[in-house]
Amino acid sequence: MTEDSQRNFRSVYYEKVGFRGVEEKKSLEILLKDDCLDIEKLCTFSQRFPLPSMYRALVWKVLLGILPPHHESHAQVMKYRKEQYSDVLHALKVIRFVSEATTQVEVYLRMYQLESGKLPRSPSFPLEPEDEVFLAISKAMEEMVEDSVDCYWIIRCFVNQLNNKYRDSLPQLPKAFEQYLNLEDSRLLTHLKTCSAVSKLPYDLWFKRCFAGCLPESSLQRVWDKVVSGSCKILVFVAVEILLTFKIKVMALNSAEKITKFLENIPQDSSDAIVSKAIDLWHKHCGTPVHSA
Amino acid sequence: MAQQANVGELLSMLDSPMLGVRDDVTAVFKENLNSDRGPMLVNTLVDYYLDTNSQPVLHILTTLQEPHDKHLLDKINEYVGKATTRLSILSLLGHVIRLQPSWKHKLSQAPLLPSLLKCLKMDTDVVVLTTGVLVLITMLPMIPQSGKQHLLDFFDIFGRLSSWCLKKPGHVAEVYLVHLHASVYALFHRLYGMYPCNFVSFLRSHYSMKENLETFEEVVKPMMEHVRIHPELVTGSKDHELDPRRWKRLETHDVVIECAKISLDPTEASYEDGYSVSHQISARFPHRSTDVTASPYVDTQNSYGNATSTPYSTRLTLLNMPGQLPQSLSSPSTRLISEPPQATVWSPSMVCGMTTPPTSPGNVPPDLSHPYSKVFGTTGGKGTPLGTPATSPPPAPLCHSDDYVHNSLPQATVTPPRKEERTDSARPCLHRQHHLANDRGLEELSGSKGAVTLSDLPGFLGDLASEEDSIEKDKEEAAISKELSEITTAEAEPMVPRGGFDSPFYRDSLPGSQRKTHSAASSAQGACVNPEPLHSSLDKLGPDTPKQAFTPIDLPCGGADESPAGDRERQTSLETSILTPSPCKIPPQRAVGFGSGQLPPYDHLFEVALPKTAHHFISKKTEELLRKAKGNAEEDFMPSTSPLEVLDRLIQQGADAHSKELNKLSLPSKSVDWTHFGGSPPSDEIRTLRDQLLLLHNQLLYERFKRQQHALRNRRLLRKVIKAAALEEHNAAMKDQLKLQEKDIQIWKVSLQKEQARYSQLQEQRDTVVTQLHSQIRQLQHDREEFYNQSQELQTKLEDCRNMIAELRIELKKANNKVCHTELLLSQVSQKLSNSESVQQQMEFLNRQLLVLGEVNELYLEQLQNKHSDTTKEVEMMKAAYRKELEKNRNHVLQQNQRLDTSQKRILELESHLAKKDHLLLEQKKYLEDVKLQARGQLQAAESRYEAQKRITQVFELEILDLYGRLEKDGLLKKLEEEKTEAAEAAEERLDCCNDGCSDSMVGHNEGASGHNGETKTPRPGSTRGSSGSRGGGGSSSSSSELSTPEKPPSQRAGPFSSRWEMTMGEPSTSIPTTVGSLPSSKSFLGMKARELFRNKSESQCDEDGVTISSLSDSLKTELGKDSGVEAKTPLNLDGPHPSPPNPDSVGQLRIMDYNETHHEHS
Repeated sequence: MTEDSQRNFRSVYYEKVGFRGVEEKKSLEILLKDDCLDIEKLCTFSQRFPLPSMYRALVWKVLLGILPPHHESHAQVMKYRKEQYSDVLHALKVIRFVSEATTQVEVYLRMYQLESGKLPRSPSFPLEPEDEVFLAISKAMEEMVEDSVDCYWIIRCFVNQLNNKYRDSLPQLPKAFEQYLNLEDSRLLTHLKTCSAVSKLPYDLWFKRCFAGCLPESSLQRVWDKVVSGSCKILVFVAVEILLTFKIKVMALNSAEKITKFLENIPQDSSDAIVSKAIDLWHKHCGTPVHSA
Repeated sequence: MAQQANVGELLSMLDSPMLGVRDDVTAVFKENLNSDRGPMLVNTLVDYYLDTNSQPVLHILTTLQEPHDKHLLDKINEYVGKATTRLSILSLLGHVIRLQPSWKHKLSQAPLLPSLLKCLKMDTDVVVLTTGVLVLITMLPMIPQSGKQHLLDFFDIFGRLSSWCLKKPGHVAEVYLVHLHASVYALFHRLYGMYPCNFVSFLRSHYSMKENLETFEEVVKPMMEHVRIHPELVTGSKDHELDPRRWKRLETHDVVIECAKISLDPTEASYEDGYSVSHQISARFPHRSTDVTASPYVDTQNSYGNATSTPYSTRLTLLNMPGQLPQSLSSPSTRLISEPPQATVWSPSMVCGMTTPPTSPGNVPPDLSHPYSKVFGTTGGKGTPLGTPATSPPPAPLCHSDDYVHNSLPQATVTPPRKEERTDSARPCLHRQHHLANDRGLEELSGSKGAVTLSDLPGFLGDLASEEDSIEKDKEEAAISKELSEITTAEAEPMVPRGGFDSPFYRDSLPGSQRKTHSAASSAQGACVNPEPLHSSLDKLGPDTPKQAFTPIDLPCGGADESPAGDRERQTSLETSILTPSPCKIPPQRAVGFGSGQLPPYDHLFEVALPKTAHHFISKKTEELLRKAKGNAEEDFMPSTSPLEVLDRLIQQGADAHSKELNKLSLPSKSVDWTHFGGSPPSDEIRTLRDQLLLLHNQLLYERFKRQQHALRNRRLLRKVIKAAALEEHNAAMKDQLKLQEKDIQIWKVSLQKEQARYSQLQEQRDTVVTQLHSQIRQLQHDREEFYNQSQELQTKLEDCRNMIAELRIELKKANNKVCHTELLLSQVSQKLSNSESVQQQMEFLNRQLLVLGEVNELYLEQLQNKHSDTTKEVEMMKAAYRKELEKNRNHVLQQNQRLDTSQKRILELESHLAKKDHLLLEQKKYLEDVKLQARGQLQAAESRYEAQKRITQVFELEILDLYGRLEKDGLLKKLEEEKTEAAEAAEERLDCCNDGCSDSMVGHNEGASGHNGETKTPRPGSTRGSSGSRGGGGSSSSSSELSTPEKPPSQRAGPFSSRWEMTMGEPSTSIPTTVGSLPSSKSFLGMKARELFRNKSESQCDEDGVTISSLSDSLKTELGKDSGVEAKTPLNLDGPHPSPPNPDSVGQLRIMDYNETHHEHS
């Protein structure tokens, strides 16, 4: 009862009228106030609503397992993380993999490589494709998270999640994409098929890099909210929505190469709308996630 | 030009004697005319005609079609303007107009009309004037509506020409004047007939002037005597006459007939529709005339009625006394009576009705008397005229007398109309006479005719007079023949329709003609004679006559007596044709074209033969006539002779003179003389003659035109008759049908009556049957009623019975009820009875018992009295003992109750405690979970850190190995050894530093943990050492050696372990085994810690249970002790408080409990 009274009594109506995010912050705060954070609830929350940017890093860290659910141990754990970060960084510096001139992103990459035991023998070795993915993600993440320790940890866990948790579902996404595109606009799909562009769409960009470098970070973080909270399907809908938004242009293009090129460099101005629509679409097709407990 | 030349050639070819060529050329021209629309060809044709008088050209011109009419009229107009060509062009115009071309209505608009009128007003040539006037008269009925514009012109022309007739300006010959006069007369008739009001007003205005008065008296007034008063003068007006609507309904021939109707001149008049009758009647019955004229048709119908009402009488009179014909017979009505006797008197034409001009029959009956009279007269003197007055109507005798007077004295008081009438009436008879004479002449004498005429007019004339008389006679004859022809045609005409007519007509007419002869033969001589010549004439005429039935002068020419003259004339004409081509052309044409053109050539020939006498005669005659007319006008106010009459007479005179001369002279010789010897007749004479011829021709043509109009009219009337006959036939057929139907009706009526009779019979039968049935029904009804009554009675009885039964039933029910009730009562009573019986038995038994008990009582009483004194002391003792015992027990119960209360309280307390403890336990568990989670999180972080460290070390090692590899590669062995040791030392040092850093944190942690335990463990020396020693050993082994040394002995196992660690570290060997070795140790450490944690949890649980149980048992024990203490008082109470302290097992338990307690305190 006390919790309810703390909430704004108008909150019921906000959602009816269409305002979003007014009450979310409050409810999130209530969630975060708990001594022991309920990870499930946080997941549901972040899937349903966009996260307020001031809590995004915290929530992500909790969701990604960087921080334990208990508030008490946050400080200590964070200390450990920091130390680990500095240790690794120090080690890299010692072995002269990293110098002052090295970019922060590359530092993250080297650190990740080191931690995963994949550090090449020499920094001059060519990068693997997965390293490129890491670089793209870390580049985007660098914009979103200020603190470098947090940033490194989030990148690391995010990439680990992609590699472990979504290892099986990511390859399925192109098929799902075709399916939903057919439901939304079969003509467009047939056009793509006639252009034989379906197989050449930038799936790597979309699904492996999670649109890093494709969408601006302000929009991208909303997508990643969902990805972090455990749903990689949102990526499919973002891709579908991109095609729907640029349908006219895509229809005008006839060759697969042109379409792919265009999709790799879509204009940034409408990305916010695309993401909103994509989330709506995702909710429409997959249903609004409800906290099971 | 070539074409023109070609045209010229063709024109010349037109007159070629070859008939074939002529036809071809005509065809060519017609084709040209059809194709060419220009005026040139027409102009050429007109010119050519004017030059040559070519007949084929005339034929072509008269049959010109629509587009060329304008050119033709223009051309004619052009030539009319020229004096030289005027005459011939006018005659051409006349020819054209008489054929009534389809474009005749255009004449009124054509410029020709004004120029013609102008010409008539200006010209002075009589021939031209006469021709022009005749053309105008012919034209007027065709263009009646043009009167509006040119009416005054017409009147002016009339005024001018009429004055001419009197004044004779210039050198005009008398002969011409006769012709002019005739044409003016015709114009008068036409104008008066067409525009009476205007004309009369013109006459009034024109002749009111003094200078014209004479003309009026001399010329116009006599003319007016020959016309009736025009009905339009009464009903019409000047404007109405000129109204084109009036004329629209009338065709040309209608107009002509209209004009003829109002004429009283027999030569001019048309005796149609009872007009002539009225005329005749008016002549005889002036008082009646108005009636008849007012309703001519009514008259005929009246006469119809008369005829039908008195057919036999009239017939009888007719048969017996033809002379005594009643006036009714004179009406044409009788002809419709289709009785054969009637037909004997009347010609078949009358039988068939209105086909012929109906006037002639009207004329005939009164005239019928004349032939006989004449015949008788001729044979038996003047007896007949005396006889006829008695029978014939009053005017008839007058007329006859006048006739004779006139005959005897032509210049006497006989008025021309009288004479006219006389001739009129006399004509038939004369003719017949003539025929008779002819017949006779043919049979007996050739010159009998002259004798007859002479005998008719004995010794009245001198040389000239005789001549004149003969001429007059001839003229009369001509007129008669004309009239006769009318009759004969009337008679002959039915021959035409006979074939076409229906059978009744045919039948009627044929027997009529046959009977005619019989009756004629039987009745009278005259009658007998009359038909014969008719038949003969008919026979002579041959097949042509029917067709030419309407030609008035056709019979005379065909007549037997004139045939020789005709022959001769033809010869002469042929001869003259050689002499003078222009006039001769007409006669042959006439001769060829019409069988009638005999008289004019006759006249012409005569004049040719005897020019002087003719001239002289004409002049004289005209003078005489004029004088006569004057005299008439002045003295008697009697109508003058008609100009036509005069003209006729002139011609007849000429013919007569000629015939006379012919008898004397041989004309051929004369002609031969003239031609051969160049003895050409005086040019003046020739010219006059020619002109006269021309005039006559014109006149003739005009008359012919009129005839044609009449023919048209007649044809129309004939059609009407045919229709009427057909209708009559239809009527008859209808009547027959009607009769048949009436018969049918009769038959049906009879059958109806029969049917009715039968029906009535049947009805009667039916009635009887019905009555029988009715009676039966009545009887049956009666029976039925009886039965009904019976049944009703029975029903009432039945009702009664039923009621009784119901009552009985009710009674039965009541009785039953009673029975039941009584039965119930009975059963109750019986029960009561049985009850009372059983009670009685019981009573008896009880009584017995009572008795027994009483005995027993008595017995006991006896016993009691025996034992009562010994028991009181014992009882008292027993009572005291009993009381004590009771008290004791009561106290005990109290004690027990108290104890129970306390124990219950204690139980409650313990239970609440237990619940609290459970709650605490739960909370503890939760917290433990939390902490575990927290620890795990931290542990994970640490682990990851450790992992990182491991990776770092690996990397470092890799780096080092790499460096080593490089160094070895350098291949400096000596240096290598030295540097090796140094590097090993450096590595050792570094490793130590690293381990220190790590162990510091670990030690801190362990110390924290051990600090917890240490506080509680320190007071307990021995027992805790065992458990914590291992831990302490672990901690000490990882911590510095100085600290761990004093406690080394108990932890012997850990000692060698650490020493070995130190040894391995100390050894300058590869680092891999050390890491391998260190791994399990660290693992074991962590695992131990984890295990400890887990074990703590499980142990503490177990311990807690144990504690609670033991405490429970303790408390229970104490309570029991208390209870027992209460029971057993002191001993039990002493045992209670000191049970637990000396427990040997409780030390371990205590430790655990302490641990728990400390945790309690913490939380």
